[in-house]
Amino acid sequence: MNTRVISVRRDIQAEQKADAAAERERLGRRGTLVINLLSSPGSGKTSLLEATARHWAGRRSMAVLVGDLETDRDAQRLAPLVPVAQLTTGGACHLELPLVQRGLQALGDPAVDFLFIENVGNLVCPASHDLAEHLRVVLISTTEGDDKPGKYPKMFRTSQAMVVTKQDLLPHVPFSIEAVTEDALKIQPALNVLTSCAIDNRGIQEWCEFLEQQYQKKIESVYEPAGNR
Amino acid sequence: MHERSLVQTLLNQVQQIVADDGGGVVKEIQVQVGDLSGVEPILFESAFTELATECFSQDCRLVLDIVPVKAECRLCGQCFEVQDYEFLCPACGTGPVEVIQGDQVKLMSITVDSENLVSGAKS
Ligand SMILES: [Zn+2]
Repeated sequence: MNTRVISVRRDIQAEQKADAAAERERLGRRGTLVINLLSSPGSGKTSLLEATARHWAGRRSMAVLVGDLETDRDAQRLAPLVPVAQLTTGGACHLELPLVQRGLQALGDPAVDFLFIENVGNLVCPASHDLAEHLRVVLISTTEGDDKPGKYPKMFRTSQAMVVTKQDLLPHVPFSIEAVTEDALKIQPALNVLTSCAIDNRGIQEWCEFLEQQYQKKIESVYEPAGNR
Repeated sequence: MHERSLVQTLLNQVQQIVADDGGGVVKEIQVQVGDLSGVEPILFESAFTELATECFSQDCRLVLDIVPVKAECRLCGQCFEVQDYEFLCPACGTGPVEVIQGDQVKLMSITVDSENLVSGAKS
């Protein structure tokens, strides 16, 4: 038999990663910070975004791309507050960059300060897909196990921030913020840890301040204003 | 189960690379999967079995090489194997560490049978 071996040695996602890097650069240069929000289902991504939109109303511009398996319920909740586009994956477990780009086009590619991508509820698959975000934030609610970081290491390793949500339920659930923080910091020592409660607005101001700091750090250094148009 | 989409990406690349290299029947595809790649090897294998037979011959084999996670300390330069996903430098204990192996899915090599090549292909 006449066989030959072709040596390749290449990351199979190299092309997607390069596309994401180019899109990240484009959005950054025109002044948009992209935030990829990830969590298990029901951790409170939509509630956090509603609280964020209310906090910034009239002061900072934002838009949301909502990833969902089938329904548009989360998008309907956000629509009265901010520009929002629905990305339906048709049952797929994660979003990919072309879907995000289609969603941006659907919104008219607005030059907002903050673009949030609400990923589908899943801590495994979305970790492996770069959506051109400048910031990856993982949410964990107090109704989940505080040992989750160790179970989903890739997600926590690739995130820059963790928001513990539903802080108001702490007295009623076996969840320790110290334990989850310790577990997460072993995997990502540079992780920023925040806590929030969307019902009584606790932590929302700190969360928004954190995002503004990230904006200054990642966007203002590269931002090239379009000038007079 | 994003393994399906990763396998589809892989197979598209294999087709392209083999075509660019003169063509032939794909016999074996070697892939390196890191412990921090987010890929479940069993799911990857079953997605491969299902999708590869559509693209290639029935007897195209997948060889999966599972590699451990390795990191390098950016402060003191120490290279170490990451155990239990603890990303702390064992030498200085303080430095930020960078993953240098084990967070990717890598196409390593493709074995091609060129015996049954149609005429006109490059030698
Ligand atoms: Zn060190």
